[in-house]
Amino acid sequence: MECALDAQSLISISLRKIHSSRTQRGGIKLHKNLLVSYVLRNARQLYLSERYAELYRRQQQQQQQQQQQQPPHHQHQHLAYAAPGMPASAADFGPLQLGGGGDAEAREPAARHQLHQLHQLHQLHLQQQLHQHQHPAPRGCAAAAGAPAGGAGALSELPGCAALQPPHGAPHRGQPLEQLQPGPAPLPPPAPAALCPRDPRASAACSAPSAPPAAAPQAAAGASPPASPAPASSPGFYRGAYPAPSDFGVHCSSQTTVLDLDTHVVTTVENGYLHQDCCASAHCPCCGQGAPGPGLASAAGCKRKYYPGQEEDEDDEEDAGDLGAEPPGGAQFAPCKRARFEDFCPDSSPDASNISNLISIFGSGFSGLVSRQPDSSEQPPPLNGQLCAKQALASLGAWTRAIVAF
Amino acid sequence: PPSCWLFCSPLLPSPLTPALSPHRCHPPPSALSTPPSPGEGGEFRKQRPRGTQQGHHLQRNMAGAGGGNDIQWCFSQVKGAVDDDVAEADIISTVEFNHSGELLATGDKGGRVVIFQQEQENKIQSHSRGEYNVYSTFQSHEPEFDYLKSLEIEEKINKIRWLPQKNAAQFLLSTNDKTIKLWKISERDKRPEGYNLKEEDGRYRDPTTVTTLRVPVFRPMDLMVEASPRRIFANAHTYHINSISINSDYETYLSADDLRINLWHLEITDRSFNIVDIKPANMEELTEVITAAEFHPNSCNTFVYSSSKGTIRLCDMRASALCDRHSKLFEEPEDPSNRSFFSEIISSISDVKFSHSGRYMMTRDYLSVKIWDLNMENRPVETYQVHEYLRSKLCSLYENDCIFDKFECCWNGSDSVVMTGSYNNFFRMFDRNTKRDITLEASRENNKPRTVLKPRKVCASGKRKKDEISVDSLDFNKKILHTAWHPKENIIAVATTNNLYIFQDKV
Repeated sequence: MECALDAQSLISISLRKIHSSRTQRGGIKLHKNLLVSYVLRNARQLYLSERYAELYRRQQQQQQQQQQQQPPHHQHQHLAYAAPGMPASAADFGPLQLGGGGDAEAREPAARHQLHQLHQLHQLHLQQQLHQHQHPAPRGCAAAAGAPAGGAGALSELPGCAALQPPHGAPHRGQPLEQLQPGPAPLPPPAPAALCPRDPRASAACSAPSAPPAAAPQAAAGASPPASPAPASSPGFYRGAYPAPSDFGVHCSSQTTVLDLDTHVVTTVENGYLHQDCCASAHCPCCGQGAPGPGLASAAGCKRKYYPGQEEDEDDEEDAGDLGAEPPGGAQFAPCKRARFEDFCPDSSPDASNISNLISIFGSGFSGLVSRQPDSSEQPPPLNGQLCAKQALASLGAWTRAIVAF
Repeated sequence: PPSCWLFCSPLLPSPLTPALSPHRCHPPPSALSTPPSPGEGGEFRKQRPRGTQQGHHLQRNMAGAGGGNDIQWCFSQVKGAVDDDVAEADIISTVEFNHSGELLATGDKGGRVVIFQQEQENKIQSHSRGEYNVYSTFQSHEPEFDYLKSLEIEEKINKIRWLPQKNAAQFLLSTNDKTIKLWKISERDKRPEGYNLKEEDGRYRDPTTVTTLRVPVFRPMDLMVEASPRRIFANAHTYHINSISINSDYETYLSADDLRINLWHLEITDRSFNIVDIKPANMEELTEVITAAEFHPNSCNTFVYSSSKGTIRLCDMRASALCDRHSKLFEEPEDPSNRSFFSEIISSISDVKFSHSGRYMMTRDYLSVKIWDLNMENRPVETYQVHEYLRSKLCSLYENDCIFDKFECCWNGSDSVVMTGSYNNFFRMFDRNTKRDITLEASRENNKPRTVLKPRKVCASGKRKKDEISVDSLDFNKKILHTAWHPKENIIAVATTNNLYIFQDKV
């Protein structure tokens, strides 16, 4: 009776459940999907912490090899290298994330790149967690972070996001996730071992606590909010979790259409996707055109990349009705004609960043995961749990939990 | 906007609403009301005229002194088909005794309601209590299609609640996902005979052939039970209705869906008042839904609702029109050592029931039953583990969807014993006074009347003793979600997937 407690298989199972609930009689069950989304979130937390640990460990090994050859630099100097996506004021990140010697890192751009990507994933994730657990205040808090930041200090202006204060130096160890004390904690060497993906199969109980094992690195990671002054010159700069609309070019964005069953308001938003994970693999179709480095797509208003398949679908979509309701039982994921939606929602949400995080698993936000193949046919490819799991993990910036928006 | 306390303007009658006409009950037969093959328990009897309504249900020893385990539970009857092949429409979805316990109603996935009536006691026979036999069957809800939203609306009966009896007829509320209906169940045992212008078979007579006049008289006839829908409360819920509860004023009732609770007047169908609305401005911020709601049995201004996060909120309707701010919040802090992927799922409350006294309430989550004192919010006063051995199986139960099963729970008449269902057709009782518990099985193997049920035991791990059942051999397709306890006597109704078992204590 024991099943695999592997985070990724749980994610696949959960996505499959959400998918199949679309075709069930009686309509989408909000309660069940909400519970499934919690499992998704928990599994993702574990997955991320495992990956982070893995990358960190790999990087530690590399550094140890190189440290013998190079004296360690000042911690700030590791900022100097031109790894894409590396914010200027990576002092915020502290030494531990970057592991010390800057030049050493410059020599291992790939590993470091991945590490930073994952680090950024953590940032987003932590911010999202913060909002869920600590701050009933609206997500405008995070959205405010998207404003072009004059510096790390800009974050101190965020109301209610006190835990995202820039670090003040003193290292803290093993802070529990929720407290998120500022200040990077030098990750002690044993910590990666603690983070080593515990073999979930080893424990009989399904107890893979999502937060505690990752507390150490996450606390440190959380100490430095990602929004930092980004020279506008480099388009690939990682701006922040919720960047301003005027941000750099969009990378692999897609559209979400949501119908509120109560008010019958249709909202069409542009979703952004973090592609660290999926771009890291050479097979990511969305990166086929050689997009530069990780980019966080911004809210509506930015340039977006269309995929021929997707666009065709949207133009040809006829049957889903003016209101954009997803027909039950249909395999069609593509949203309805976009032009009409804009007529229906003249006053787009005042908080564009909020909307950009709006998730509809049943709208194109989900189909975007499936139909991302440039050769997508009329019929969306059968939902591959594996494929979606990977991309679901990549789309961190776009959703905190899979919620069915009616 | 949640500040609007009047739910909406008068509702237009939905074209989907069936016409209000006396409903003669001949729907596709529910297996519960068809006679079983001979040799099985529970004989089917023709309806017979009822005698006096009161007097023959004595107040038995309500297990106050004895406790749940001093009672010996015996098989009494089983209703439903024997086949292993269960028709989906026959799956029982709700069970409810009426206020006197004389009537027992069941609802199924096919939208049908079957009502059983207890025979009046016959002191000559050896049974001390009458059997329950089919009294009325009718199609309460039909499948519908919401064309606007392209949603199919299931006809499954989610809940049945009886109104207290005010006259000769009986009334109950039944609801599916979207529509609540008030049904009147009335008896007809007389019919007029001797019309001047009509023959007995109904044909009209030629007036020229009438030579004398007579006065029509009422003559007895075979008892006929009619069910007719008296009110239809529709178009008030966007999400799926999970609860209905009748107020102690017997004039109003509430209906709860995932995000909202509405207050109705039993006489008024075209409007309802929204009293709770937890829908967030952005659906992406949704973190919890309403899972159950109930009025306080004595205070007509008080109700509770439970959430998927394991909290219960008690609200006072006198405080404000929209009771979004609770008067009390009942929540037990989570045990961090038990944290898992599925912590949120298993902490979701599937049922909440007030005690008859109104002093306590009981909640059911996936693994346990908790009793709360309304005066203490920070933790329950009692917690009973229903099937803790499942904690290590949560992953498999998630895969096969069993973790989403919504178990109900119920009190006995004196609030001393609580009962809830489990898997493998097991059900559990917990005696609050003696702190003893018992596991019993609803199975056709013990179907001789007055056979005492043998207690069951599940072996969690290690060496399995004789007569114990190991966790891995439990049948998770056989689940008991719905149980009901007679309000005055030790008679329980336990619903397996498609069968209804009636047990009573040994006399």
